[in-house]
Amino acid sequence: MTVKALQQISTGRNGVGAFILQCKKMDIHYCDWAGSSRGMNGFIKSILPQFAAAHPQIEFTVSPRPSKHPIIVGHYINGREKAICVRNMEPLQILKKAELLRDASGEKLKRVTKPVQSINDSVRGVWSPYHGNGMQV
Amino acid sequence: MKRLRPSRWTGQLLLAGAGSGGRYGCASRRPAQHLVALSSSSSSSIRSQSSAAAAAAAQEEELAYDGTDHERFPPLDRIRPADTSYPSPAPERALQSAKLAALHARLSLSPKIPLQTLARTLVDASADGNPQFNNSNLAFVGQTLINYHVTEWLMVRYPRLPMSIIFSAMQGYAGDKPLHQVARSWGIEPAAAPGGEVDPGLLQFSAHKPGVSLVKFGYKRTEAEYLEKFKWRRGISSRIVFDDDFGQTVKATPGSEAEQSLEQQDGEEGEEGPVPVMQYGNADTRSAAETAHAHAVRATVGAVYAHCGREAVKNFIKSHILSRTLDVSKLFMFKSPTSELATLCAREDFEPPVARLLSETGRASRTPVYVVGIYSGKDKLAEAAGPNLDHARWAAAMNALKAWYLYSPGENVRVPSDMLSEGAKPWEPAHIDIGEVISR
Repeated sequence: MTVKALQQISTGRNGVGAFILQCKKMDIHYCDWAGSSRGMNGFIKSILPQFAAAHPQIEFTVSPRPSKHPIIVGHYINGREKAICVRNMEPLQILKKAELLRDASGEKLKRVTKPVQSINDSVRGVWSPYHGNGMQV
Repeated sequence: MKRLRPSRWTGQLLLAGAGSGGRYGCASRRPAQHLVALSSSSSSSIRSQSSAAAAAAAQEEELAYDGTDHERFPPLDRIRPADTSYPSPAPERALQSAKLAALHARLSLSPKIPLQTLARTLVDASADGNPQFNNSNLAFVGQTLINYHVTEWLMVRYPRLPMSIIFSAMQGYAGDKPLHQVARSWGIEPAAAPGGEVDPGLLQFSAHKPGVSLVKFGYKRTEAEYLEKFKWRRGISSRIVFDDDFGQTVKATPGSEAEQSLEQQDGEEGEEGPVPVMQYGNADTRSAAETAHAHAVRATVGAVYAHCGREAVKNFIKSHILSRTLDVSKLFMFKSPTSELATLCAREDFEPPVARLLSETGRASRTPVYVVGIYSGKDKLAEAAGPNLDHARWAAAMNALKAWYLYSPGENVRVPSDMLSEGAKPWEPAHIDIGEVISR
């Protein structure tokens, strides 16, 4: 037996094969007394039902947070969470924030300078100084 | 041949006999009779998979007044007091779980798969020992399907892989570790501890009490203990015959011993002995968690098969498991690549391999580089660069062997199970290799 096997684990890439939405839960907190929640209360009454129905893969919880500003918290598959304070916002502005949380991957925000990341081998191969005709100096 | 309709078999997943209300052993042998009994009575001590049975029972209990304004702060989850006495949540509570509905939608499962079955896939045998309420049956079906599809795909895609590499690649795609990662990527969260009051959308397992789940094929070798103790060698042929699908020895003894210990525990429950100190975060609990997550994935695959059939489960496995990336060329470890390459060339009637120095630089420096090519007659088999002549030659021989072993007829090869779909094109025989190189 000259060939022995090493052990490696396959790595998944979301969207190659199946796509899993990374936002798994959204907590929506409001206060039914404070003025900063006026927009949030309107959002919960008028927009949230359609938004929740359009995203069955996200678990929504609505709960009061008395005497506090309204917030939306997104929970992600990687275990992180993102919270956005939506005080004094209009319902449509809050919808934008909810969409932002829905589309986020849950990773920390970082500057993307190389828009394509890949685990595949380079098609062209790695440049080698020992091959080719070389260059006369 | 009459077509089988697996979707009609799934009734039993939802309609487990009511006799299973008693914990272990007294599984129902008279399902029809029990169903009649269920629809008429709503005794809270009867546990069943049917949602119709307990719908009435859920409404009968009113919550006691404890000073809270229930109109303003409605209770989050109505749990019957009897539910907490069960080892896993009652199946009818699956319909109320937001987490479970979200998981169902997140995996884009067909509406044919009811939430009760999905809830059952999340109950590990270590949480609930009753096979009518845990996922061991579904996980068994799922693991056979996953292993079948992964094996046939590997065999057709890389027809020349040595058996040890196939085992390793199988482990890399369908073993506990990769499936654990799949479960995590689905957003399956474990419950802190299993119990009847837990949200059915959480994965339930016990890290301390091993479950009785027959989820593996394989023969338990009588010499199993000595294999590890004395590092006995197991040949590949005996691994194929005796061991499980990944070539690993079957270790645990699901069955008689574990069942006895469970029964003992049940007897002790009433006496309320001292609670054992639980240790978390050690290798055992981690592997228990890994296995439980993997079984949940297998059970989900089994549920897809049971409710939606063969084609659906094939697509599900393809999109969630086979679509993952594993670089098979990194699984090889050669002991004597040059002699193996010489044997291969002799076997295939090639001219014996010769290593030739193609280029070099810095021979007298601290970091020389040699590029060595391996030729068989006029054909260049492979080449590699290395810091000394021997290393470059070995690396070149390894590249040549990998180029042989990793021959692939193409990325989108047809697998035998493609023929099962209706209207499939006639089968063209797949490439079957004569086998790996056996050197002295």
